[in-house]
Amino acid sequence: MTSHSRSCRLAAVVAVSMGLGSNVHAADPIKIGIPVGLSGANSVVAPSVVQSAELAVEEINANGGILGRKVVLEVADDGSGAAGAQKAFDSLIFRKKVDVLISMETSAARNAGLPIVTRGKTPFIYTSFYEGRSCNKYLYVNAWVPDQQVAPIVDYFMKKYSAKTYFLVGSDYAFGRGMLEFTKSYITSKGGKVLGEEYLPMDGTDWTPIISKLKAAKPDALITSTAGGAPNVTLTKQLRAAGITIPYGNLAVDEGTAKSMGIDAEGIYISGSYFTNIASPKNKEFLAAMAKKFGANLKTPNDLSVPQYEGVYAYKAAVEKAGSTEADKVIPALAEVSFEGPRGVIKMNKQRHAPLTMYLGKVKADGGIEVLETFKDVDPGEQCPKLK
Amino acid sequence: MLGIWAIVALVLVAVGPWVLPTYMVNGLIRAFLYAAVALTVDLLWGYTGILTFGQSAFFGIGAYAVGLMFTHVGFGPGYATMAFIGAVVGAMLVAAIVGWLAFYHGASPLYGSVVTLVLPIVVSQILYSGGNFTGSSSGLSGFESFDISIETWFWIAGTFLVLLTALAWLFVHSDAGKVLVAIRENEQRCEYVGIDVSRVKILLMVVCAGVAAVAGYMFAGVQMVVAPEYAGFVFGTELLIWVALGGRGSLIGPVLGTLVLDVSTSYLSGNLPFVWKLIIGVAFVVVIVALPQGLMPLITGFVRRLMGRGGAARSEPAPMLAAVEEEPFAGLQGAGSQALALAGVRKNFGSLVVLDGIDFVAGRGELLSLVGPNGAGKTTLMRCIADGGERSGGSVRVNDHDIERLPPYACVGFGVGRKFQNANVFDSLSVAEALRIARSRLERPSLLRRADTLLLPEAALQVIRATGLDRDLQREVRHLSHGEKQALELAMVLALEPSVLLLDEPTAGLTKSERTLIGGILVDLARNHRLCILLVEHDLDFVREISSRVIVMHQGRIVLDGTVEAVVDSELVRTIYAGGMTPRSGAVA
Amino acid sequence: MATLLDIVTTAAILFAVGAGLLIVFGVMKIINFAHGGFLTVGGYSALAVTRLGWNPWFSLAFAFVIGSVCGMIIERLVVRPLYARPLDAILATWGLGIIIGQLITLAFGREVQFVQSPVSGAVELLGSSYSEYRLLLVGIAVILALVLGAVLNATRLGLVTRAVIMNENLARGLGINSGLVRFATFSLGAGLASLAGALITPLSSVDPNMGVPWLVNAFMLVMVSGVSLVSLGVACLVLGGAQVLVSSWGNPILGGLTIVVLAALVLRFRPQGFARD
Repeated sequence: MTSHSRSCRLAAVVAVSMGLGSNVHAADPIKIGIPVGLSGANSVVAPSVVQSAELAVEEINANGGILGRKVVLEVADDGSGAAGAQKAFDSLIFRKKVDVLISMETSAARNAGLPIVTRGKTPFIYTSFYEGRSCNKYLYVNAWVPDQQVAPIVDYFMKKYSAKTYFLVGSDYAFGRGMLEFTKSYITSKGGKVLGEEYLPMDGTDWTPIISKLKAAKPDALITSTAGGAPNVTLTKQLRAAGITIPYGNLAVDEGTAKSMGIDAEGIYISGSYFTNIASPKNKEFLAAMAKKFGANLKTPNDLSVPQYEGVYAYKAAVEKAGSTEADKVIPALAEVSFEGPRGVIKMNKQRHAPLTMYLGKVKADGGIEVLETFKDVDPGEQCPKLK
Repeated sequence: MLGIWAIVALVLVAVGPWVLPTYMVNGLIRAFLYAAVALTVDLLWGYTGILTFGQSAFFGIGAYAVGLMFTHVGFGPGYATMAFIGAVVGAMLVAAIVGWLAFYHGASPLYGSVVTLVLPIVVSQILYSGGNFTGSSSGLSGFESFDISIETWFWIAGTFLVLLTALAWLFVHSDAGKVLVAIRENEQRCEYVGIDVSRVKILLMVVCAGVAAVAGYMFAGVQMVVAPEYAGFVFGTELLIWVALGGRGSLIGPVLGTLVLDVSTSYLSGNLPFVWKLIIGVAFVVVIVALPQGLMPLITGFVRRLMGRGGAARSEPAPMLAAVEEEPFAGLQGAGSQALALAGVRKNFGSLVVLDGIDFVAGRGELLSLVGPNGAGKTTLMRCIADGGERSGGSVRVNDHDIERLPPYACVGFGVGRKFQNANVFDSLSVAEALRIARSRLERPSLLRRADTLLLPEAALQVIRATGLDRDLQREVRHLSHGEKQALELAMVLALEPSVLLLDEPTAGLTKSERTLIGGILVDLARNHRLCILLVEHDLDFVREISSRVIVMHQGRIVLDGTVEAVVDSELVRTIYAGGMTPRSGAVA
Repeated sequence: MATLLDIVTTAAILFAVGAGLLIVFGVMKIINFAHGGFLTVGGYSALAVTRLGWNPWFSLAFAFVIGSVCGMIIERLVVRPLYARPLDAILATWGLGIIIGQLITLAFGREVQFVQSPVSGAVELLGSSYSEYRLLLVGIAVILALVLGAVLNATRLGLVTRAVIMNENLARGLGINSGLVRFATFSLGAGLASLAGALITPLSSVDPNMGVPWLVNAFMLVMVSGVSLVSLGVACLVLGGAQVLVSSWGNPILGGLTIVVLAALVLRFRPQGFARD
């Protein structure tokens, strides 16, 4: 192939694609980009996240869309990791040219995507709980951070089980390390002691050596913080197979994943901002709508997927307040609007994060959650003091 | 020619950011850097035959040098330079260690590949184990980096790729580049021609590692994210796939292949990536099984046929032949008092004894023929003289140098030249290139150019001229007849300017006139040039005509050592050849 | 004590995974990089069993059968021409592994899924509780070794196979149909890999790429074992043990490196590895 014909060919391709893309229309749909872990560690939860978004978009479109424009979803697989997130974010922001990114992702993926978000100047509503202190001009978070989530479990263990010594296990990345770092300092500040802190890479599946160390240390309680989906299941399976029965607090599991663990999940303590048996009317409405839309294919709504639903509505509110989808206008608006969803009234007005009502629960044999304690409107703490 | 292509490519790179959509510009920057790494894979695998899974590790080292420096130390021109030096030096050090491990003398190619497979796994696992320092599964991101626009990065990466490709092209077409092909084709022959193959491979690997690290450095600079996957084994195999599909050993093929494949993959979403990956996988398997040269040669072969050129010969003009100045053979300059001295040389395979205490001395000017029935150990003896690691016991001295356990290339340095029984040459090189490879110990091949004269000693020239090979210098060796290949190998060995010449059945398959010619040359070499020649032969007439001394071997021992007359008329020899000799009696009749 | 059990169970798992690869390498002298793909096939066969609601024990036999069938097809189509080109065989079989992975993704989806374990829970053993399933694996690996050993040493097929391993040309000269032996061996190797895949999934999970980490470890173990099942067993114990020790007392991630690094070093200084020569 000569270079002359190659450049001719290139020019033709460009001309055609520019022609195809140049329908500048007033009724252009608003594109919401969802980079999510369809493969990899998060793939266990990702389908539920996509379902939430689909329901939100369907409802919004049925009610006239946002500012009269239809809303469209663009889903991309971020592989639950940094390398995949690069490709996914790049594709969504620069090829699909989405107006906003609303998604739940692993911290590895989020961190890798942020530079691209900055370069592309696209608002990003992060709907996953995480280790906190991720700050970016374009980033908002509507899920919990350790300042809201860790205390209930540790306090409960110390009170009910008089647990003084703890063993911590996590996935080796920003989230696992960040959560356990917070947990460790919280435990120590309450007079407890951490006997061991062990990590496995996000995609690791063999916890045997760590479980052996855990057994040797003989702690009063175990607290884990692995990546969302698969590592939770493998760790729990292997823990139970090894006969571990001490109180087990899992900082990073959601109801859906707990269900897929079956009998092994019974007795695990979790702390989160959403359980399906929250008794509010909004939640009942939401669950009914999900059941109607997805029927037998419904993936259990959970603490990783419900913020997604609320995130889409938050974006709608912000765009309507700002009167446009331009990032410069939407970003400040996001801190001012609120939306009442299955988790209650959510407003991301505390340094880009949101005060949330938190629940301490215990997993039952049938996979359901028994709510033990409720904490209203817990403050997220100082997450991004430097951002306005 | 190359210059024109390079300029066109540079122009395309310059124009790119204005013409192409942003997404493609982003994607192409990555693809340019991947293509640079694919180029190094082609040099190692396509040209030199080293199947390497490990270039991704060096890419990763380059990328993490940036990530680590900018995250933990800081960003600034000083730090950026330090990171650059760290990346390149670090990668080269690792490459040197890997090369030492993988390319030791006698290593099998499979073992070499195994080590290159282990490398990226080790590097990525070390990265995973680095906790907060390396970011483990998260990698490092959000660090401050160069404040350069995407367009500028496009130009930088594109220019880097074009320049690298041009340099590599020059290298591969130079005389030194042919050494790589020679190694791929016939590593053994290279060793016996005095090339320290291990050193060449290690050097090549070190250079390629540095290049890959630079690509990684730039990658991290523009992406501002580094993750362990970039140093891993899966990326390493992806590089191999791109090179295989593009066409290994063609340089341009892998570069274009990488660009096309990487950019197209990034345009697929939904389930298409899996169907696409399936298609790539199938294409890869098909290429490996049925089209080992990849898809590129199909295109170039087609183009060449269109232009009416055959593929059997080189298109460049042939080099001129010239004689080395009338000096004693370079090997003779190191000649000792005794050309060859063997003492108690033994060789056994387990309990099977093949050589049982061989002692003899040979001097310059002797033309010594080794005769004996098959299985007597003649070729084994040759091997023990040319390769220090071959014998099980005893000592061999060449020109008063003890060869100890040294590999063949070192023995060539002492003055040994060995011609094998079967024509042991380089099939895809041309006659001239093969000869130049043989000269590479004495004349360093240029790294970027091809010399236009080929210096050969008078004896080698004689062989070339007499067999008509001087008119066929540009012909590929695989197209030569058997006799011509034998003559070429002889010329190559003579080109080494050895002082001890080992020939294993040099007349096998030759015509009567060819035999006379060779005989004449050998006699001339022994008498006038004072070489010590050791000859294994079955043709007893030939032996009688030219030899000054004959050694008869039987069942691993020397049974007779004397002049031609003494041996040829001996009753013992007749008995041995007729098979009437009782085993192990060894007495001289 | 737990460490000792860890070592033995890890060695058992490694042996199960590596046995199929060893047999293929021994007979065909090529490294089958599609081994990881066959492991994945086995894992997904077990998933299918879970989905269909069959008895989880059945997954072992099911996986073996599916794996063997895949092996037969692949040997016919792809492996035959590559016998003379071992380095290319590595690449082509790696490509096959990719193909298998993509086909599985298209059929089952790309997400991580879970398989039901035939037994779960722990048993009291010598003072501490230990995973029942892991202990079971030791038993299965031993049975596997015995069965393979018996087939190789006491049957006609085994004898013929060993002849081909030692000297194929000679064997053919004696009238042995080496093509058939290679076909049978490859299928057996694939079936074993698939079986191993089904064995390991109850401990963790299935996803389309689950075979890859096992592939490299199995490959290094086979390289270091030569052609003997016994030396494979030894290698699994020694190197697997080293892995457990490094993981337990050092860093579990670096522990994952132990087998690979130690094997490479062993081969550097003793190219025949653990084999007797």
